[in-house]
Amino acid sequence: MNLEEELRSALQRQEPSADFARRVLARVNPAPPRRWVRHAAAWAVAAALVITTGIEYYRYRQGEQAKREVLLAVRIAATQWNAVQRKVEKLNGPRDTPQATTEER
Amino acid sequence: MKFTILLSLLTAAGAFAQAQAPFRLNLDRLAAKAAEAVDVTLDSSTLQLAGKFMSGQKDEAQVKKLISGLKGIMVRSFEFSSEGQYTPADLEPVRNQLQGPGWARFVNVQSKADRENTEIYSKTENGQITGLAIITTEPKELTIVYIDGPIDLAQLSNLGGHFGIPPVAVPDAQKKGSK
Repeated sequence: MNLEEELRSALQRQEPSADFARRVLARVNPAPPRRWVRHAAAWAVAAALVITTGIEYYRYRQGEQAKREVLLAVRIAATQWNAVQRKVEKLNGPRDTPQATTEER
Repeated sequence: MKFTILLSLLTAAGAFAQAQAPFRLNLDRLAAKAAEAVDVTLDSSTLQLAGKFMSGQKDEAQVKKLISGLKGIMVRSFEFSSEGQYTPADLEPVRNQLQGPGWARFVNVQSKADRENTEIYSKTENGQITGLAIITTEPKELTIVYIDGPIDLAQLSNLGGHFGIPPVAVPDAQKKGSK
């Protein structure tokens, strides 16, 4: 085979495969995501929102509960403390804070 | 000689352990007998969380300031339907913990008429009150308050008149002095 024949053979026209046009178009315009993918994405976003809201609500409830307990504890502590102050003041005369061991008779 | 050193080390270790051990109020047995019981145990993280949820308004701001440096608060309050539901022995473990280093009882008010007794213990470190315990006993009531951490007693007094806490009567001389 001489050079002329080799070139003719190499450059001869070849028909593309049957799905060539479809494959090219598929690369240029990717197919839209299937319906289940869109649904899954929507559910994921919704679930993330629900979980985030739930966590925030749980934290809020915890904070409010802690606040109620602190106010109750402080109320009892201050009531006890002030009651002693009143008694000591009544017995020993006015003072800033209870200082003396005393006994009411 | 060795025995003396060992004994000293054990004593020191015991005192250190007592100083480091967390305060315990195991009074569940009394809670079971009580007609009404309040059981509040708050650690520093809960106090901090509560502080974040308190508004800057006057009353809550006062509490927020009061608890800001505290490590914990414990309250046990019991109301019994009849007398004799608790004995002094029930309080011995509590009082024993208040005998540790730094602790001192500075008030003991006994009202024979009401059969009411109130003891106040404070823990002092470097001249600052770093703990407070109040034990109030009545024939049908028992209240124990334990506050761990630096506390300003004046702030505690100032809560009187707020949150339903009876105010402490302020003497006229003190009122004039504060103006």
